[in-house]
Amino acid sequence: MQAGSSGVGYGLKYQARCISDVKADTDHTSFLAGTLSLREENEVHLIRLSADGTELICEGLFSHPNEIWDLRSCPFDQRIFTTVYSTGESYGAAVWQIPELYGQLNSPQLERVALLDAHVSKIKCVLWWPSGRNDKLVSIDEENLFLWSLDSSKKAAQVQSKESAGTMHYLSGGAWDPHDVNSIAATCESSVQFWDLRTMTKTSSIDVSHVRTIDYDTKKDHILVTAEDETGIHIWDLRKTKVPIRELPGHTHWTWAVACNPEYDGLILSGGTDSAVNLWLAPTGSRDEITSDSGQNSLSLKVDPLVNSYTDYEDSVYGLAWSSREPWIFASLSYDGRVVVESVKPYLSRK
Amino acid sequence: MAIEDAPLDDKAKRMRDLLSSFYAPDPSVAGGSLPKGASLDAINTDSFDADQYMNLLVQRANLEGLLQKHVEMAAEIKNLDTDLQMLVYENYNKFISATDAIKRMKSNIVGMEANMEQLLDKIMSVQSRSDGVNNSLFGKREHIEKLHRTRNLLRKVQFIYDLPARLGKCIKAEAYADAVRFYTGAMPIFKAYGESSFQDCKRASEEAVMTITKNLQGKLFSDSESIQTRAEAAVLLKQLDFPVDGLKVRLFEKLEQSLGGLQVKIGDVADALEESNDEQENDLQLGFAVAHDASVHEFVETVRAYRVIFPDSESQLIKLSEDLITKHFLITEQHMKKRVSTATFLRVLRIIWDDVLLIDHVLPEALLHDYCFKVSQSAIKQYVSSMFSHLLDDVSGAMMKVHPQQNNVAEEQLQVALEAGKNSLLKGSMDLLLGFRQLLEDNLDLLVKLRELITDWVQAGFQQFFEALDTRFLLLSGRIKSSPQDQSLSEGLQSEKISSGLVLVLAQLCVFVEQTAIPRITEARTEIAASFSSSGARGYEHGLVFHPTEISRVFQSASEKFLHQYINMRTHRISVLLRKRFTTPNWIKHKEPREVHMFVDLFLQELEAVGSEVKQILSQGVRKHRRSESNGSTTSSLSNSLRDDKLRRSNTQRARSQLLETHLAKLFKQKVEIFTKVEFTRESVVTTIIKLGLKSLQEFVRLQTLNRSGFQQIQLDIQFLRTPLKELAEDEAAIDFLLDEVIVGASDRCLDPTPLEPPILDKLIHAKTAETKEQNSSVASPTSQ
Repeated sequence: MQAGSSGVGYGLKYQARCISDVKADTDHTSFLAGTLSLREENEVHLIRLSADGTELICEGLFSHPNEIWDLRSCPFDQRIFTTVYSTGESYGAAVWQIPELYGQLNSPQLERVALLDAHVSKIKCVLWWPSGRNDKLVSIDEENLFLWSLDSSKKAAQVQSKESAGTMHYLSGGAWDPHDVNSIAATCESSVQFWDLRTMTKTSSIDVSHVRTIDYDTKKDHILVTAEDETGIHIWDLRKTKVPIRELPGHTHWTWAVACNPEYDGLILSGGTDSAVNLWLAPTGSRDEITSDSGQNSLSLKVDPLVNSYTDYEDSVYGLAWSSREPWIFASLSYDGRVVVESVKPYLSRK
Repeated sequence: MAIEDAPLDDKAKRMRDLLSSFYAPDPSVAGGSLPKGASLDAINTDSFDADQYMNLLVQRANLEGLLQKHVEMAAEIKNLDTDLQMLVYENYNKFISATDAIKRMKSNIVGMEANMEQLLDKIMSVQSRSDGVNNSLFGKREHIEKLHRTRNLLRKVQFIYDLPARLGKCIKAEAYADAVRFYTGAMPIFKAYGESSFQDCKRASEEAVMTITKNLQGKLFSDSESIQTRAEAAVLLKQLDFPVDGLKVRLFEKLEQSLGGLQVKIGDVADALEESNDEQENDLQLGFAVAHDASVHEFVETVRAYRVIFPDSESQLIKLSEDLITKHFLITEQHMKKRVSTATFLRVLRIIWDDVLLIDHVLPEALLHDYCFKVSQSAIKQYVSSMFSHLLDDVSGAMMKVHPQQNNVAEEQLQVALEAGKNSLLKGSMDLLLGFRQLLEDNLDLLVKLRELITDWVQAGFQQFFEALDTRFLLLSGRIKSSPQDQSLSEGLQSEKISSGLVLVLAQLCVFVEQTAIPRITEARTEIAASFSSSGARGYEHGLVFHPTEISRVFQSASEKFLHQYINMRTHRISVLLRKRFTTPNWIKHKEPREVHMFVDLFLQELEAVGSEVKQILSQGVRKHRRSESNGSTTSSLSNSLRDDKLRRSNTQRARSQLLETHLAKLFKQKVEIFTKVEFTRESVVTTIIKLGLKSLQEFVRLQTLNRSGFQQIQLDIQFLRTPLKELAEDEAAIDFLLDEVIVGASDRCLDPTPLEPPILDKLIHAKTAETKEQNSSVASPTSQ
């Protein structure tokens, strides 16, 4: 539809799942994307949006030894990022540094800063300290939570603490609370668990099943957004976890990815397996609004929270990232390896 | 000359005026200084010039004329002379008589003073004599007056001594009025001297009065006495300073008691109307109506009497009769909690109205009309809303029946529920309209006046009914949390999970509401409204109007929501199934496929369940291949050139060529749109569920890493699914595409994507098909017996 014309496209060679905003790059709007190819040599692409916003330029192309299931850019050093990778049978996670070879697209090798090698089961994701320079990292595998201390000069990472999530829970992902750096939310099959990193204990949980992605609202304390397979998107207030404060219908098929805008309140992006990216405007507002939202009659009266649906994708959209430098810009990555950068500026005026 | 005239005295002047008027032929010409020629003749004017006149006369007249003039003039002069003489004489005469009178007066005044003094003396002596007489008589008069007073007093004493006897006589004669008059006359004396001199007397008369009071009271309370006598009795009692208020209260209580009886009877009437069957109905009603009429008449009579007896008691009576009406309506409202037919309601209203009219007759001040309108408004309003809530309960009751058995979908059960729902909704609302029509067409005063309001209420009622229905549906489907007042309803639901069948029924019912019920109700409503001048405009102001379009829209969206919910519920079950299938095994160490995995059976079972539910509820759609609206699309993930190269390279391998074929075929296929708009047909719903299921399957596969055997297992399963799914779904192309996508996804995620050899594939599928058939027959045979 109309969205097709506004987006700027870029093709990765292979299938891909993960894209990350390079937060530390304050001069450019750049993204890192990693491919997911079982039998080919995988790559990490450093993509930069040209100054006029009409073109996506490949700033660097680095070969990565294995298929990438998770990729996160370091919030304080634009050259550092983490990946979670799989070799088919085994999983690994590592911290990488982009070598000083800018502009040469000859697939230079990435420098491995550290290997997060304490895991025994399937690693799900690695989380950076939410903001600012800190050497702490959290990695989550199916059964355990690890807190790492990264020493980039020594090129090593030490496990600071580790805790098992319990035998019955298979963790699948997580997010670091930007408002409370001691708190981590981890998703498992039937709930979202909250961990205190100081004591490495589980503090609370929300009962919600099959959460694919969670994201904290960076502007508002206590607000957490979850994307679930079938039931769409839920917005939670962490102070009252019994019922979500808001529900969004999500996608025709599963809702896979969800991302809160770092700047604009209530602006939420979701990617789904129906090959679409939906832009929602669901301000959580004041108390009154919350109660009226959970009321019955407001269901029909409410304004449609769906602001726009970008449907110009060929395959399921698994990767989503807002640019923190230009918060009206987001990058989306569909499974066929296509990166599309869109601007939501035309819809912001509606607020 | 005019100035010279001024000193002339009045008389002379008058005289001259007289003369001049006599001589002047034209007075206007004669007055004032006129030209000489014109006034020559005017002898009488001031400006008369004798010489000129003479000259003129001599010149103009002949001799004869002159002579004649001369004679005339001489005669005139003589006349004037006589006049003058006469006047002088008369004056003189008068003067002489005045002089005489003065002279007489002078002589008379002399000697009057002495006479006057004499008169004064005489008067003085008369006065002194009269004083003497007065003094001498004073003492006697005083005595007489005293005697007179004593006599009066004696008479009064006599009266008081006689009082008891007289009162007794009066009692005997029942002349209570006289008795009271006597007694009240004697009261001041008793008050003054009752304690001393007239003690006995007072006691006796008080006793008599007591008897009188008693008698009067008796009279007052006896219903047999005429109202007139009772009223008199009340007045007399009041005069006797008897505490009438107490009596009033007692009488009032009596009134209230009779009222209570009346109410009970009303209740009976309502009950009777409630319980009586058609055959006995009329008789019973008649009986009760008569009984009721009698008691109302009694009440009315009492009220009348009471009013006469206590003239100032209107407010109390008004209150009492208002109470009566209020209680009437209260009883009616209580009955409304049960189901009351319109006819019964009308009958009750009529009874109440008759009562009102009767009472109004006796007690016009009560304005019971107005009061009754006010109260009945709320009653009728409540009646209208109760009718709607009954309807609502009916419809949701029909839905609730689906509930108990949920998973083992009993054949026809959903269909039965749907039909029941439809019926109760349509029939219920038609009955409702019919009932309201009855209400509107009735010519009872009360209803005629409220007609416009009733129309409004019915309109608003429908609006609210449909809104409530929508909410209730949502509640039933569990989409919204129940509010406290619906707790009882939802408790039943919370215990078990909401059945998907119910949701489907609700969806279809919403469609029914939107497409059939609302138009029909609107039609019927306009028919009714047309017979009266509907108060549409007024209703709009109050927001009390039934908006069919708005409701239609609400239900349309609700039906879509429910359908989606149904699909969601079903796909969720499939998802759970698939999740278990794909997350449990270790795909990287999968063993050689030996048979089609059993999840396929479960998957098909789920679809079968969907099919059977859908079959009951939804209509068969026309097979369509047109895909107009799509929400999303997917093309092959193989648009990647590198992969094509790679596939070309591996082309030599015979086994892989098969895979390539799938891939290449996909390349040339059109972009298949998967997520199309769901329609209210069996095929559309089933197809959507299959599509969503397959898409989920694809996504699960993409998350795994497979070894060759794992890939082959998936290939086998999918190959097996192909036939049954295509049979179920209407959109074969999309199903094919999705199945292929699963295989492609699996091959992408496989370390060594070597497909099964076709013969092996065929063999395994045949084995599975045979097994399924066998199972089906073995399962089917016992049930068919």
